[in-house]
Amino acid sequence: MSQTQQAQPEIKLGSAHLERCPFPIPMGWYFVDYSKNLAKEEIRNIDILDQEWVLFRTEAGKVGMTDPYCPHLGAHLGHGGKVCGELLRCPFHHWKYDTAGWNKDIPYGKVAPPVVKKKPILRTLPCEEHWGMIWCWYHPAALPPEWQLPSIPELEDTENFIEPATGHWDTHTAVQEIGENAVDFAHLKFLHGEKEIPPAEYSFNWPHYKIDMNNGYIVGESHGPGLNVYKFTHEGVVATMVNYTVPITKELSKINMSFTHPKFEAGTKEAMVAEHLVKHMVGEADGEESAGFESVDFIVWNNKKYRPNPLLCDGDGPILQYRKWFKKFYAGAEDEAKV
Amino acid sequence: MPEIHVTDREGNKHTLDAPNGEPLMETLRDQDMDVEGICGGQCACGTCHVYVGEEWAAKLPAREEDEDDMLEAIEDMVEVKKTSRLSCQIEMSDSLAGLTVEVAPEF
Repeated sequence: MSQTQQAQPEIKLGSAHLERCPFPIPMGWYFVDYSKNLAKEEIRNIDILDQEWVLFRTEAGKVGMTDPYCPHLGAHLGHGGKVCGELLRCPFHHWKYDTAGWNKDIPYGKVAPPVVKKKPILRTLPCEEHWGMIWCWYHPAALPPEWQLPSIPELEDTENFIEPATGHWDTHTAVQEIGENAVDFAHLKFLHGEKEIPPAEYSFNWPHYKIDMNNGYIVGESHGPGLNVYKFTHEGVVATMVNYTVPITKELSKINMSFTHPKFEAGTKEAMVAEHLVKHMVGEADGEESAGFESVDFIVWNNKKYRPNPLLCDGDGPILQYRKWFKKFYAGAEDEAKV
Repeated sequence: MPEIHVTDREGNKHTLDAPNGEPLMETLRDQDMDVEGICGGQCACGTCHVYVGEEWAAKLPAREEDEDDMLEAIEDMVEVKKTSRLSCQIEMSDSLAGLTVEVAPEF
């Protein structure tokens, strides 16, 4: 290149047009709260999935999660509403709804609007309880669940597994960005300080993906954006980390984790290995050379912008394959050029 | 503006001006024909029920599903005829000049 034809920086690699989190809320099963935190007949207003919802539990114990505003005249069901048996009653005119959003009673009209017999008129989210947790299904177009929550024996077999330890962290980014870390193998060396970029095998099979790092040391499976199960194996001892991250807004996510392992007799070698593994998962292990996610990933996540067309090099993980897999969770609600 | 001929619930006859582009329900409601039209045109309340003149029944656009459902919902309480319409679903235009309607009984 002659001196008169000096290379100019690629304008498209500038950052002014970029956004931090240009994503809709993706479809998936999401953790809402621990079951023990919602009593029968309790009503609570919660902010998750980029809007406010009214969470309630019926007299028989069924969980409901609904859009706050009554389809009748817009009263807020979570301010003065009441659980009446299996129904949620609006404070304004006592219209009543079931957990699926069907209107079941209008206490004064001679004839109900025909629509109430044809379909639910309140937007509600399907809710299920597993592992002592309340889970909801969210879809950008309010469609029914596209997959079921899996069985997680480590959280179900309370006789043979310890009561899980839990951790919760808020981070200022979207779930797609957090999940991308799992396939960004190179950052494990440079950001976390691992000795080498770990060898990894992976397979994408929507809504799941499987990953195996360091020849079986970490084996993980994703069940959509809101649930990932990782197993760490060391000296024959397997510890399990369950990650259930929830979008609070489009730019704020709550990372929740449960850690468990089989019950071992105190003082045995297995017990010590298991304890060390759990510490490693949270990044608190003594003498560990790599840094836990809280101390390093958050600095990146909380400040980065999303590049829809990143400049990647060989040695990077399957970032674009992950993004193509993830895009399907937006169900067409995404801005194609930005995501 | 087309004229229409209305028979009220007492059997009195009225000739009214019905503005083009407005639902017939609003003309009847606003000119005190004792039509409520509570739901505003969503086929949810049945309070704007009228019988149209037989010669007009076939000339009007056919009922859609929502209108049928609402008429079905009130048929235990009030007579629903082949000429029954929810007046909120009839948009006035010059082609309806001379339309005859009878306000159906309250339920």
